[in-house]
Amino acid sequence: MSAAGTAALLPLPIVCPIAGAVLAPLAGRLSRGLPFLVALLAMAGATATLAPIARLVYGGNGQVVSHYLGHWGPVNGQPLGIALVGDPLGVMYASLVAVVGTLLLLAAFSELGGLGARENGGFVCLFLLLLAALIGSALTADLINLFVWFQVAALASYGLTGFFLERPIALEAAFKIIVLTSIAGFLVFVGATLFYRQHGALNMAHLHTALGTGVRTADLLALGLMFLGLATKAGLVPVHAWLPDAHTAAPGAVSALFSGLMVNLGIIGLARLLLQVFPSREHGHGVLPLLTTLGAVSAVLGALMALLQEDLKRVLAWDTISQLGILGVGFATLSDRGVAGATYHLLDHALFKTLLFLCAGAVVHSTGQTELSRLGGLARHRPFVTAAFTLGVLAIAGIPPLNGYASLGLIHEAVEKTDPVTFVALLLAQALTVAALGRAGYLAFYRRRTEPYENLEKPRAGMAVTLILLGGACVAFGVFPNRVLSTVAAPAASSLLHPDEWAVAVLSGRAGVPPLDVTFEYWTFSGLLIVASTVLAGVLIAWWAVRWTTREVPQPRALRALRALHSGSVNDYVAFFTVGLIATLTVLLA
Amino acid sequence: MIIANYCTAAALFCLGLYTALTRRDLIRIVMGLSLMESSTYLLIVSLAYRADSTAPVLLSPPDGQTPEQLARGNVSDPVLQNFCLTAIVIGVAITGVFLAVVVRIAQHYRSLDADRVRELRG
Repeated sequence: MSAAGTAALLPLPIVCPIAGAVLAPLAGRLSRGLPFLVALLAMAGATATLAPIARLVYGGNGQVVSHYLGHWGPVNGQPLGIALVGDPLGVMYASLVAVVGTLLLLAAFSELGGLGARENGGFVCLFLLLLAALIGSALTADLINLFVWFQVAALASYGLTGFFLERPIALEAAFKIIVLTSIAGFLVFVGATLFYRQHGALNMAHLHTALGTGVRTADLLALGLMFLGLATKAGLVPVHAWLPDAHTAAPGAVSALFSGLMVNLGIIGLARLLLQVFPSREHGHGVLPLLTTLGAVSAVLGALMALLQEDLKRVLAWDTISQLGILGVGFATLSDRGVAGATYHLLDHALFKTLLFLCAGAVVHSTGQTELSRLGGLARHRPFVTAAFTLGVLAIAGIPPLNGYASLGLIHEAVEKTDPVTFVALLLAQALTVAALGRAGYLAFYRRRTEPYENLEKPRAGMAVTLILLGGACVAFGVFPNRVLSTVAAPAASSLLHPDEWAVAVLSGRAGVPPLDVTFEYWTFSGLLIVASTVLAGVLIAWWAVRWTTREVPQPRALRALRALHSGSVNDYVAFFTVGLIATLTVLLA
Repeated sequence: MIIANYCTAAALFCLGLYTALTRRDLIRIVMGLSLMESSTYLLIVSLAYRADSTAPVLLSPPDGQTPEQLARGNVSDPVLQNFCLTAIVIGVAITGVFLAVVVRIAQHYRSLDADRVRELRG
């Protein structure tokens, strides 16, 4: 197929899931399982149309293809229509969503397939809409289009959070996510329109060219508003408060979708805004240090809060905040290793966090319990889920040969020399992450349990297949790090690090991004030392923290105060948001 | 005098944020968010304005002007007005979902006090 023909496929990965979302509720009228079949077919369509695009984009050093909707191409170099762009970063995220999303549909079918036909139809519709919005946000190069996908994803996520309306906590979580995400949506919208008013440009590449001539105060205001809006979706501190609640209330597959795929919309949007659109290197006005700071604080606070949780899914949700903070730090380094490490870690995080949330979903499904203090002894009853969960924890802990080792190693190397304070924060976060997940794993799976469970449901086949595939991917991504780097992660990082070349490529329709040479040395002394020391520290902290649950040692007062700060009141969360808004605008405009 | 519109939009936004910050009644929080939403509409329509411009309608132009003159001349920005329409549609959808959730909360908890709907914390 010619390059232009392949570029014309770009709308299809978005159209397929949307068509599925329309058809699924209708299919639900015919039979109970049919909506899931429709969904799998729709996602197969999306994956099949992404495959030739990916082959083209990852050929050479990384190509960029673009397609203007309705063939409203540029006139005299001024883009008019909405551009869909397949660049290495976007296609990486879109393919990730398509593949992992298909697996999650399979897992959701085996976990929830027993629901009524109407429920299945509605559930699948929302699920596909969210996937379509994520793929759309990955492939668009237009700021208002990005806002539209942001809102489609937001609406679908409200529906999925509150889907089980009979659970009061689902309603509560839906209410909080609506309040915070809506305000974030307003900010993204106002930011995008301010950029348009200043430069008459909505196309990201066009806007990047326009901003190159000079940055005015209104641009900084627009940047600050969009920054905070996207940071909310990414769950960075202080606008993170919706995230743990939304994950707790939803079923396992939905939490996995939120944590593994949806939050990445925010962080990829941030990376595009700060690295591709805004000339942060020249006229940053402190926006990159701001991202580094928020990222480092999120990394530490998220891991610390994960350590304090009593609910298995909340542990994982807080850990998502921590991991997204690490991604933010990686992107903000602007160095080859840091950004490549961040794009790599984004893939890794999606894989192991999906795996862990599906395990948590399987635990909830079979025992009906979510509290760590009421679980235990699952290693004997559920050895398979235990193995999968342990694999996920080891991957997050960065133990070779699993995938976290390579991507975290790259980010650590990038920060080590340039920014010692952030480096220490990342190490602390890593030790706390090991502790939090180790504690959760011990309490839920390995702790001895004397009394038997009242009711143990059998695990389902679809769930097992999904866990095996995700676990296999975690191992494969860890064993062949340089393969992943050279084919996917480095080209994706290159499209972020060379915004001028990227902009030319987007506007001209088809060109490459410069090569980026990043290789990961596997057995280095410093890398292994970091892993060994963080794991050791983590195990010691976990041993101390386990005894909070068994009531041998009280929780320290400072940590109880930290928990009390997250009061569950929506007013307080809006207050955090306001503080974040004022701080961001102060940093950028002062 | 378009500055006055910007100031009004900013004031409306702050008023909405203040409502969401201080009111515990869920319906009032919804109203606060609606206020913030309307402030973005006002801002965007005002951003579209250019001094002494006419509406971007090329049919039946004002006396003495042809559609071609208008297309090249001083009209307010139709793109931003379109965004405003898009935002209104999205806003309606969000407010609808929002109120549906509030209704279900009211049915479950028999209360609209946000302080009594906070099981998820910490």
